[in-house]
Order: sequence, then C-alpha cells, then structure tokens
Amino acid sequence: MKRLLMRWEVVLLLILVAELALFGAINPRFLRPSSLLFGTSDFVQVGIVAVPLTLVIIAGGIDVSFGSTVGLAAITFGIANFFGLPLPLALAVGFGTGALAGCLNATIIRLTRLQPLVVTLGSLYMFAGAATVLSGVVGANGYEGIGGFPEAFTGLGYARILGLPMPLFVFLCFAALLLILLHLTRFGRLVFQIGQNESAARHSGMPVFRVQLITYVLTGLAAALAGVLLSAYFGSARVDLGSATLLPAITAAVLGGASIYGGQGSVLGTIIATFIIGYLQQGLQMSGVPSQVSSALSGALLVLVVALRHGTALLRDFVPVRPRRA
Amino acid sequence: MLDRIARDRVATLLVVTIAVFLLVGAVAPGFLSARTATSVWSSGLVLMLVALGIFPVILTRNIDVSGGSILGLSAVTLGLMLNAGHPLWFSLGGALGAGMLAGAANGALVAGLGVPSIVATLGTLGLFRGVMLIATNGEWIEELPEALKALGAKSIGGLSVMGIVTALVICLVWLFLRSRRGRWVMVVGDNREAARHLGLPVKRVVFLSFVWGGAMYALAGITFAAQIGFVPNQAGSGIELRAIAALVLGGVSLLGGVGTVAGTVIGVIFFTAIDTSLVFLKIPAYWNDLIGGAMLLIVLLIDGRLRIALEARDRAARYRRSSHKTDAAEDQGGAA
Repeated sequence: MKRLLMRWEVVLLLILVAELALFGAINPRFLRPSSLLFGTSDFVQVGIVAVPLTLVIIAGGIDVSFGSTVGLAAITFGIANFFGLPLPLALAVGFGTGALAGCLNATIIRLTRLQPLVVTLGSLYMFAGAATVLSGVVGANGYEGIGGFPEAFTGLGYARILGLPMPLFVFLCFAALLLILLHLTRFGRLVFQIGQNESAARHSGMPVFRVQLITYVLTGLAAALAGVLLSAYFGSARVDLGSATLLPAITAAVLGGASIYGGQGSVLGTIIATFIIGYLQQGLQMSGVPSQVSSALSGALLVLVVALRHGTALLRDFVPVRPRRA
Repeated sequence: MLDRIARDRVATLLVVTIAVFLLVGAVAPGFLSARTATSVWSSGLVLMLVALGIFPVILTRNIDVSGGSILGLSAVTLGLMLNAGHPLWFSLGGALGAGMLAGAANGALVAGLGVPSIVATLGTLGLFRGVMLIATNGEWIEELPEALKALGAKSIGGLSVMGIVTALVICLVWLFLRSRRGRWVMVVGDNREAARHLGLPVKRVVFLSFVWGGAMYALAGITFAAQIGFVPNQAGSGIELRAIAALVLGGVSLLGGVGTVAGTVIGVIFFTAIDTSLVFLKIPAYWNDLIGGAMLLIVLLIDGRLRIALEARDRAARYRRSSHKTDAAEDQGGAA
C-alpha cells in the first residue's frame, strides 16, 4: 500500500486535483463539466505527441523534431487533399509522412551513432523547411495554410463520441494503447531495458535498433495524428501547427516522470502531466491572467517540480553511508 | 586524406565554407567582395554571441536552451531602462546584469540542485520569456535612442562597435581555454568524476559556465536591439537551437570536453553564409530552413560514418600489431 501511495503518479494526481480545486475556487465556471471536457480540445495534441515521446525518452533517446513533423504531415495531407485524392488516401499520405520522418530520425541516429538531440535538431529544421517549401508549391503562403477540406472532415474536429469530444477520445484511446504496449508487453520491457543500459541490451542480443526505430516511428505517427486533428479543428493545414506543442510535450513527458537519461518513466504519468499543463493554461486564462504570465508560470512549474524531485533525492544523499569495514 | 578530414573537423568545414563562397561567387558575380564579408559578419553577430555563450556550457557536458529567452529578457531590460531615461552605460550594465542573473538561476538549478540541464533550461526558457512579456505587457519596445543604434551601425573599418566587441570576446574565449583554469572546463566535461578526484571545483565551474552564458546572451540581446532599433516580443526565440546546430557543425561534442573556438566561429559563419548566399542567388527565403537543416544532417552523416570507419581501422591496426607480437613471441619460444 505504501509503495502504491509513494508513486510519482499519485503525487501528480494530487497536484492535478489541487489545481482544479484552486481554479474552481477562483472561478466556479471553470469546474463546469462542459468547459472541462471541451477545453481539452485546445491541448490534447500535446498529450498525443508526449505519450510516444515518453517511450523514446525511456529507450534512451530524445526527439525534438516532432515540433515540425506535425506541420509537415498536416501539409502533405492538405496537399494530397488539394490535388483531389479521396480522404482515406490523403490521410494515408499524412500518416506515411509522419512514419517516414520517424524512420529517417532513427536511421540517421543509428548510422552516425550521434546523440539523438543533435540529429533530431537537424531534422527539426529540415522538416519545418520542407513543410514551408511544400506549402509554397501549392501557393499557400504564410499563415493562411491549406484549406478546402470536405465538410465531413472539418466536422470531425467538433464531433462527439460517447459524449466525449473527438480529439479527447482519440487521445485517450491512443494513450491507452501505448500504456498497454509499454507496461504490459515484451516490447515494453525491451524499451526499459535498452534505456537502462544500451550496451548490455545489445550484448544480450536484444533488437536494440528495431525497438528504438519503433519508438521514433510511433512519435512520427503521433505527430501526424496531431497534425490531422489540428487541421480538422482549425479547418486548415498550416506549417506552424506543431511549434506550440514542442516545449509543452517535452515538459509533460519529464513532469510525468520520464528520466532524461533513459530507463525510467510512465505513460500514465505523462497523461496526468498533460492535463496538469493544459488545465493550468486554461485555468489561468479563465481567472483573467494574461497569457504571457501563464507561460511564465508553466515554465516555473516545470522547474519547481523537477527541482523538488531532485532536491529530495539530494537530501537523501546527505544521510552518510559509511563503508563497512571487516 | 580520410584521416585529415575526420581528425580535423575545423579544416574540413573551412574548406567547405570557402567552396560554398567560391561556388556562389561563380554563379552570382559581385558576391565575392569585402562588403559581403562584413555583411556576413554583422548579420551573424547575434548568432555568434549566443553560440559563444552556449559553448562553455556544452564543454562541461551540459546544455542551455534558454539562450533565446535570456536574450529577449536582457534586450527588454535595456530598452525599458533607456526609455525610462537612464544613461546608456547604466542601461547596458543593467542588461548585462539581467543576463548574468538569469544565467546564475540556470547555474544554481543545474549545479546546486542537480537538475538535468536540458530540463532545467527548458523550464527557464518558458519562465524568462514570461518574465519578459510581463515586463513589457506584451508590447514591443520602440523608439530606442540613436546612441544605442550607433553601437550596431558600421563605424570603424566597416565594422560596428558590437562587431569589434564580438571579435574581442572570441579572442578572450580562445585565450581563456588555453589557460590553466580554462582547461578545467574541458576536464569537467570530459570526465566529471576524475575532475572531482583531482580536486577541481566541479560545481563552481558548471555554475560559472552558465553565468558566462547569461552574459553572452545579454551581449547578443544588446546587439540585437542596436541592430534593428526595437525589441519585438519574440526577440531571440529559436536562436538557441540554431546556435547549438552551428556548434555541432563546428565539431563541438554534446558529450562534453571536445570543441574549439575556431570550430565555433566557422560553424556560425557557415550558417550565416548559407543564408546570405540564398539572398544573393535570389532563392526565396522559405528555402533557408530546408537547405540549412539538410546541410547539417548531411555533414553529421558523413562525419559520423567517417569517424566510425576510422575507429574500425585503428582497432584493426592495433589488433594486427598485438597479434603480430604474440606470433613473434611464440616463434621465439619455439626456437628456445
């Protein structure tokens, strides 16, 4: 029981409850079920990329390129639609782009054996550049983006499934899928093992590259999913759709308990952290705090929580451990 | 040949940069001139200063992604102090102070509390940007005095005051890294435990490298404000990633302890040269990121493969030598 209560996810859940209670006290309208539910449409895309990103981080990598993969996949999807491809085919083009982007990242990391941060930083630029160039090709410049989606598609952004808004429903399904994949399957154990000690994993014959490849491809696919959802929500595909998800998604993964050094983390933690970050932004807005202050506060929150975690670990080190002498 | 390319990253990059210049010069006449050189230098100044700030941090095996926000924060400090009527030297001091304070906050988190540097600076990236926006109420700072703009304008020999300051900073970093204490930075990044056992003040070195970073971002912020004459809200956002990319291109290892000032400078010039060349070749600006990103990935790919090939060859050579020795020893044993 104590082990269960001492888990990081429980702490996160308490933070979330405290946050909701606080904002509810400031502005009772915040706690209305409909505003809580439909407010999620503004931030679930952060969670959609943060969850597979958690897997990448646990496996010892990091991916920052998803910030532009979101836009790139949305643009290729929009272009496919622009040239009159049927919707399923256009969706396939979008998701294919995402998967290809992840594949490219993993392959270059493997080939060069460089730190993933460096490689994905390069692809962050390249994908953003590719998206800009591609949207220039069809003559959609700047911030208008590529529109002209069928009604059936843009309606999806506001549809409801089982009483839940569609983006939230998609996020919960996707997160549940990855939760099972990470915590209940052989593949999940491999992810943790590789993150703990990559050399040991390689020497004991585990398919290190294949597992890492899958984590990056999943992130690419999730970025494409976020891109498609956002295009439906806004009614147009834009290059900069994903740039606002980059930092919050990494924050969500780290806040959720993923260790940047690999080998540690949980999908559930990331999910709760996504809600903490999302509701923090919305709660602050509804309490009349200007958006610039809320960005400072969410940065401060990340620093505070992580400093707290490391601070307590540091305190533990102060207890002297003397080597026993025989 | 293979040896030289892989071992001397800076020389390779220099050759590639010169090749790019010559190639563009051949296509677009009038590109190869002193004016292009000074314009590359002055348009790369902000990036150069940010890169010089991150450089020692990366040498200690940490990373700092809050550079863009600190740049914005100190530019805003400068602008607000100037518009409140303070003299220029005092405002410049205030901007530098704000930058160093922000750097000290990063340093305290990383060196003091032991928070992983990427996480800590990601947090402060949002925090400092927010503080900056609170200070300005989300409005741009305009109508900066002429005295500040003069710092960014060309004055002596086609260079601006800030251009000369940057050149001095480059010399300073170069001299410092050759000094006894400068080596400490390398040692801490190369092997933290060994540095601790040698009795080096590891935490102080890390802390001070972040403070140095803050000071350099502040200088970059001053340059930024002087060059464009106003401070927009998004001043400096995203520049930290460009700077890190330039550093990596220049052969600075994110694993710490490896990197040269020359590499840093050439990495930045290479990136700026590409941007300038695209303007000369009349290629639309939206190609910049694609070409820059693709170049970076290609350089990384070639460099990585070369290094791996070279390591394999070295290992094979070592193995041949050692097996040869044991063969000889056995022969001797047989004769006796």
